[in-house]
Amino acid sequence: MAKKQQKSRWGVIIGILLFLFLLAYVFSGILSILIGGDDIKDGNVALIPIKGVISTQDKADIFDSGVASSGQIVKDIEKAAKNPEIQAIIFEIDSPGGTPVATDEIATAVERANKTAVAWIREVGASGAYWVASAAEHVVANRMSITGSIGVFGSYLEFSGLLDDWNVSYERLVAGKYKDTGVPLRKLSPQEKRMLQRKLDLMHQVFKDEVQKNRGLTNSQIEAVSQGEFYLGNEAINIGLVDELGGKKEAVDYIEKKLNISAEITVYEHKVSFLETLAGLLNEKSFFLGRGIGDSLSNNARVGMLT
Amino acid sequence: MRTNLNLPKEAVFKAPAVFWKRLLAFLIDILIVDFVIGYPFRRLIIRLIPMTDFSKSYSYLVSNPKAAATVSLITFVMGLLALLYFALLEYKTGQTLGKMLVNIRIESVAKELTFFACVMRSIFLIFIFPLVLLWIIDPLFLIFTRDKRRLSEVLSRTRTIEIRSLMR
Repeated sequence: MAKKQQKSRWGVIIGILLFLFLLAYVFSGILSILIGGDDIKDGNVALIPIKGVISTQDKADIFDSGVASSGQIVKDIEKAAKNPEIQAIIFEIDSPGGTPVATDEIATAVERANKTAVAWIREVGASGAYWVASAAEHVVANRMSITGSIGVFGSYLEFSGLLDDWNVSYERLVAGKYKDTGVPLRKLSPQEKRMLQRKLDLMHQVFKDEVQKNRGLTNSQIEAVSQGEFYLGNEAINIGLVDELGGKKEAVDYIEKKLNISAEITVYEHKVSFLETLAGLLNEKSFFLGRGIGDSLSNNARVGMLT
Repeated sequence: MRTNLNLPKEAVFKAPAVFWKRLLAFLIDILIVDFVIGYPFRRLIIRLIPMTDFSKSYSYLVSNPKAAATVSLITFVMGLLALLYFALLEYKTGQTLGKMLVNIRIESVAKELTFFACVMRSIFLIFIFPLVLLWIIDPLFLIFTRDKRRLSEVLSRTRTIEIRSLMR
């Protein structure tokens, strides 16, 4: 009898231990999914990827894999800047540019980081992405990378002719004569066109000033390279837009030589967590889907893209 | 052939478990908890904290509130599971594995031992304020009070005992 009791007692103990072991595995799995990719890692050189169109939009769902969210990139830069172990930052750039505000946010964060910063341009580092690259103290690009494209555009599709064909008219109701400037359902007036051009010129001037300051170019040099033309890496090096031709190895070599360290790279990249994915699915995209594709298109027709 | 000597039964009595036995039992239990509950979380913790150096990890966590919050959450969940280890085993068997090895057990000073009482007596394992204060108050109570009970034991109306013989 006592033996039987002893046996069932051990059964209970082993059962409880197994139950707790499995529960711990389940909890660690759930936590791992919930926290996503905010890993803390060791190393003395941070590598921050800037891939896709630069935007202030949060990369919070599975449909935004081609977006470089300025908010997240700035957070990563600040995280690396605060980490006393990190001595330098490499920006891995593969982006055609993006919106002016998002670009300015990242470029400002690069300058404020107060660490040795190297931009490594891969396939494309054009327009706004080049602005970000120019904020680094050393720019490395492949001889066939696409760089430059220092300009601003605000072009969009205008549908008024199409509406006429379908006998549909745009009933204009505004308070403030420029309020509906850029609506694709009517032609721009000459004053509106001039006003928009003025805004684009202002943005272009800021862009040029920043690149000129960052790269130490003369007035004539910046005027020559800021006509919106893109340059291949081996052209860019001759006009002062790039410091060195090469790739990751050259970027790392520059840091090791300058700081006299052996570089250990840590990737700072935000992986979208399960909760963020869920939240993303439930907010903006669902909203746009609900409003219809046409409405979403008119939302995207914004003035001033650095792409 | 069985013989019946008809010897008198050994005279035994219950006494508060001695301090070193309780400490040893607790250390053994912590080792078991570290394996059973800590092991599944190991990969997650390694992903979050640089294991090379304590001061490096500490300075990183200080400068990264989000990471520190995540570590706090993991600590909380692990504390909760450790609490379950103590509460479930004590409720079902009156002993944890550590207590079994040093031959001590718990009992209720009220009518019967409830699961709630078992949870209460190990509540200090949850790392949130003000429960963490029990890590200081509990041992002080154990050492300086007459009936050798921790504050958590007093509150949960339980005690830790050992069976002693009068023959010794």
